[in-house]
Amino acid sequence: MAAVGGCGWAGVCEKFRTARTLSTVESRKDPETDPYRSKYSARALLQEVKQLLSAAEEGDEARLLAVRRAVLEYELGVNHTDTEELSAGEEHLQRCMQLLEPHRLSPDCVSLYIQAQNNLGILWSERDKIKTAQTYLESAEALYNQYMKEDGNPPLDPSEHFMAEEEKLTDQERSKRFEKAYTHTLYYLAQVYQHLEMIEKAAQYCHTTLKRQLEYCGYHPVEWALNAATLSQYYLSKQCFMESRHCLAAASVVFSQAGQVPSAEDNETDQDQQDLRQRKAEIARCWIKYCLNLLQSAQKLLEDNIGELDPDRQLELKAQRKKEEDEKEKGRKKAVLFGMSDICDSVLAMEEKVSSVYPLDFQEAREIFLVGQNYVQEAKEFFQVDGYVTDHIEIVQDHSALFKVLAFFEEDYERRCKMHKRRIDMLEPICSELNPQYYLLISRQLQFELADTYYKMMDLKVAIGNRLEELDSHTIKKINSLAQFAIKYYELFLDSLRNPDKVFPEVLKEDVLRPAMVAKFHIARLYGKLITSDSKKQLENMQTSLEYYTFLVDYCEKYPDAVRAIETELELSKEMVGLLPTKMERLRAKLSPFI
Amino acid sequence: MCSLFRESAEGGRVIVEVDGKVAKIRNIKVDSRLDSTWDSREKTVAFSFDYCYWSVDPEDPKYASQEMVFQDLGTSVLSGAFRGYNICLFAYGQTGSGKTYTMMGTPVSYSIHFTLRGLFARKDDYADQTASCRVKVSFLEIYNERVRDLLKQSDQKKPYTLRVREHPETGPYVQGLTQHLVTDYKQVVELLEEGIAKRITAATHIHNASSRSHAIFTIHYTQAILENNLPSEIASKINLVDLAGSERADPSYCKDRITEGANINKSLVTLGIVISTLAQNSQMFSSCQSINTITSEGDSSHADSPSTSSVSGTRRPAYIPYRDSILTWLLKDSLGGNSKTIMIATISPASSSYNETMSTLRYASNAKNIINKPRVNEDANVKLIRELREEIDRLKTMLMSFELVRRNTSQLDDDRDGNLTELVLQNEMKVCMSYLML
Repeated sequence: MAAVGGCGWAGVCEKFRTARTLSTVESRKDPETDPYRSKYSARALLQEVKQLLSAAEEGDEARLLAVRRAVLEYELGVNHTDTEELSAGEEHLQRCMQLLEPHRLSPDCVSLYIQAQNNLGILWSERDKIKTAQTYLESAEALYNQYMKEDGNPPLDPSEHFMAEEEKLTDQERSKRFEKAYTHTLYYLAQVYQHLEMIEKAAQYCHTTLKRQLEYCGYHPVEWALNAATLSQYYLSKQCFMESRHCLAAASVVFSQAGQVPSAEDNETDQDQQDLRQRKAEIARCWIKYCLNLLQSAQKLLEDNIGELDPDRQLELKAQRKKEEDEKEKGRKKAVLFGMSDICDSVLAMEEKVSSVYPLDFQEAREIFLVGQNYVQEAKEFFQVDGYVTDHIEIVQDHSALFKVLAFFEEDYERRCKMHKRRIDMLEPICSELNPQYYLLISRQLQFELADTYYKMMDLKVAIGNRLEELDSHTIKKINSLAQFAIKYYELFLDSLRNPDKVFPEVLKEDVLRPAMVAKFHIARLYGKLITSDSKKQLENMQTSLEYYTFLVDYCEKYPDAVRAIETELELSKEMVGLLPTKMERLRAKLSPFI
Repeated sequence: MCSLFRESAEGGRVIVEVDGKVAKIRNIKVDSRLDSTWDSREKTVAFSFDYCYWSVDPEDPKYASQEMVFQDLGTSVLSGAFRGYNICLFAYGQTGSGKTYTMMGTPVSYSIHFTLRGLFARKDDYADQTASCRVKVSFLEIYNERVRDLLKQSDQKKPYTLRVREHPETGPYVQGLTQHLVTDYKQVVELLEEGIAKRITAATHIHNASSRSHAIFTIHYTQAILENNLPSEIASKINLVDLAGSERADPSYCKDRITEGANINKSLVTLGIVISTLAQNSQMFSSCQSINTITSEGDSSHADSPSTSSVSGTRRPAYIPYRDSILTWLLKDSLGGNSKTIMIATISPASSSYNETMSTLRYASNAKNIINKPRVNEDANVKLIRELREEIDRLKTMLMSFELVRRNTSQLDDDRDGNLTELVLQNEMKVCMSYLML
């Protein structure tokens, strides 16, 4: 052991330890007016230790001393960075690395070297030089991998260089600290990649960070579960359903662990219980989105150019799937999985409850739909309309969307119609009880969706009617009433644009321009579709239809900027404005042929 | 959205200039670190606002007095409220030295005074007419995502216990928050002062609370009116929000930072922020894509029409379980839609305040983006357009054949004319029927 100055090695170690405590524990209590008080005291102590080491420099084992000095340089570097003195921080960290360079792969240096590089990464990111940060962090990552390949024994923790022999850490503790440092490297890299817009890589590193938290038990279950669930939503947007499901399954499993072991902090108050229930509901909502996206993506693959299921596409995809089934297994092995830990089996069991491949027929779609619907119920238990209006409605909208996509897979028109009716039944009551003064956007969405759904139902009834020998009065009545409801909701939407004095705006704001025009356009069409044997009534409907088409044409003439938003609708409206009067004239001529 | 410069340039050179609706900030970065020298980088950053006021030097021709500023703003608040709009007025920015603990003398208190004087002045005018109105006020503070009532004696140990909720009929609210019916201006001032006093006392208990807390003074304004001879009400809500001086009080602080600066979050505790940013960004990207799909299905000529994609589109494809801050939650009915939002950012023109000024302007600039845009579904459109095209073609054919027949018939004798017209009419009826069936 190196002999040091007058105060002895034990004294040096004590000073070092005090400095560390000041820096990591005491500094949190510093007053806002003097935020770095403890950091400055720690720095003074570290410099003292450095002096004591220098005094004993000669004659001692040079390597041991170099490593100890590197530890001090590291601590000083971090200290300066923490107190916003980046240049000084950088110098210390660089010196640390120079001292360690020759020994960086040995067990007493590797951890410190990685941590120095981590801190240089942070430092350069603070200077907005993200590429430089990336270099340091990637080098740290490579060093870890090389060390694990060549040696792999739990390396020393930097603090051990200032510890008496009997205090030294166990291998288990060493490994834990080393792995934690590396986990941080990966986490910082995740952020670096995100800034560099290497999004896929960023996600992969987030995923690995989560995985390592799980493996080394460095996590809070609820928080971890929520993070995994959030990551699943990233994978959804990339259409990576297997990865998304894996994250969600792991989230659910880890979350249920949290529920089983109520820790002191989790169980203390009502508020915490409430939070826990909310988290559970939030994970359920992530599952809903999973089911919905999987179904909708399948629909996109299967639909023809008018949104109907294309049977040729269906056969083709079924054949393709058969071929790919074996390759899928291989793909799974490549992905990052939360597989190393004891939750592996539970996660697998969870995953088996819902498919991660595109459903290609009604039966397959229905299974996913049912899983989604269960999560809708679970989420609604917490997000009740009384207290959580917005959340509740968003869940109901998802539920409605689940029915909508299921209807796509349904071949039977009558049953399909019933599914849309279910949507109406869930959306209509909410829409009517909502005060648009406080929920304007959401009530507009609901109005539009209701109009759209009634329109769909009307379309289906027409299609059903077309299969009959002749349209019976009951079907005609039904068709007309559905069309009237669709008109009603488009009108409600348009009314929501009126100002408090109930006047429809002269100029439509850009954000509502297209929806408003589309609503007008659809109403025009709907009046054209109303069925009546009364020619006079028919003329009236045509007249109303014409007025709505004319609105579009006139508006665009007055405000040519609007044309861009509704080109197709405008083109068709112009045609109709040209054709309808002639048609009406003919009808009138037929009504009174002698005039 | 406006910004206001009112501090004098105590901290050295003036680095801000106002040019119409643009505020320009020069960066003459003095590095205060021991080991560094002057940074030679000098760059100008410009932020656009609806109004910029310059209140530094009364001699300056551009000088805007406080009275003038709040005359401008207060008037628009009032006229909106009378017509039933929800109004939200934010004030954000560094508070001048010595004013940290008080809302008095801040833009919010000026606007409260101005607004209320206006409301009651109008009330007096109309006192004997058919319109009568009711004014209720409440005053709350949000600290560390917890809410407390500033107008109610509460438990000293646990003052921040109120819950935020939403009601389908009456919108977002704070459960248990007291509302005080007021009938004249003096009463409101008393309540305001009471609340402010409470905030100051708290500040001595809780570590520097007021610079990290938001305060919302809400005026519920209800006018009883006769509409078509039936009694009816116009209700509006005016929120006057004093945003925390310290940006650290903002829970989205980290989230913003990570998207703006490149700074790495050091602690794994922030992993959630990193992941949600990731999910959010990719979602924006993917939803843009899906909008393109929709429009290109509708009509290919639309695919690159930017205005189309900004208004149409689908609902959020994914769910990011990140809770809105309580502030956002409470004000969501006041942001966008039938509401008027005013944001006042006050900044100092002095070079010593560069960092705070930048972050204030950035915050104010970002605030424009929190206003929600409506998203509606247009699924029916594709099919409708296709059908309508077919109908137009049918109509054209029909009318054309009619023209043709008319021209031909004029050359033919009466006998055959009758038959042909009959024939055409029959054809047309068929066309009409099949179109009805569609």
